[in-house]
Amino acid sequence: MNWFEVTEHDEERIAAFMARVAALPVRRAMADPLQIWWKAQMLRRWDAERKVVAPIDFMQPVELLAGAACLAFLLYRALPYLF
Amino acid sequence: MDSRAATATIGSTPRDRVARLDDASFGAFYERTSKALWAYVYRVTGHAADADDIVQEAFCRLLRADIAGGEDGHRKYLYRVASHLVVDRWRRAGRERVAGGEEALAQVAAPGVGGDGDVARTFSALARRDRALLWLAYVEGESHAEIATALGVGARSVKVLLFRAKRRLKDLLSARGVER
Repeated sequence: MNWFEVTEHDEERIAAFMARVAALPVRRAMADPLQIWWKAQMLRRWDAERKVVAPIDFMQPVELLAGAACLAFLLYRALPYLF
Repeated sequence: MDSRAATATIGSTPRDRVARLDDASFGAFYERTSKALWAYVYRVTGHAADADDIVQEAFCRLLRADIAGGEDGHRKYLYRVASHLVVDRWRRAGRERVAGGEEALAQVAAPGVGGDGDVARTFSALARRDRALLWLAYVEGESHAEIATALGVGARSVKVLLFRAKRRLKDLLSARGVER
């Protein structure tokens, strides 16, 4: 491969062509910015809510496991008195 | 405090109000940048519906993030997110070329305007990555490091990839006679 295949003249041609590509007309109705703004606000609120709730969600199974372990321990200690 | 009240407090700290775009400034920024971003995504993907989705998602992510650097920083962030989404889509879609992609690209050019049609068709004949590289380098004027971040390639690879893209475009321009 010849590394000098793209000359300065080629660079100019490419730059001119890319300018033409960028200038091609865009005939597309863009979405309403207000709609996007509100959607983002809603998603941001959800993100914040999830951040707040995440430790609670994490701790719930831990609490259940600890409760079950305590119950098992108490039952074990109480067994001689039950029978 | 319940989680909703906590969320409302988190979402309205003074820092948030200062750092984030309000609806009016976002509207003005959107008017200035959305069409150019859409054109970039469309020229790379060749699908108008994909371009709509990606542009909306990019603006949504911009609003959810705290981006420093003013309007220029926001613009660079938008192109970076949009490029990531484009790369994600073409990776998900595999290497196969979607049928009709090239035709769809050419349709954006005004019907009956021969020059524009040739330009669109010539550009769409390049590989997707070449199109993205050339657009970011020549239209957006991004540095090699910025292009590398946007397209998820190594910073050192960009120079080589861009050189190859330029060479392929040069060959195409010569073969198709799209000069002026």
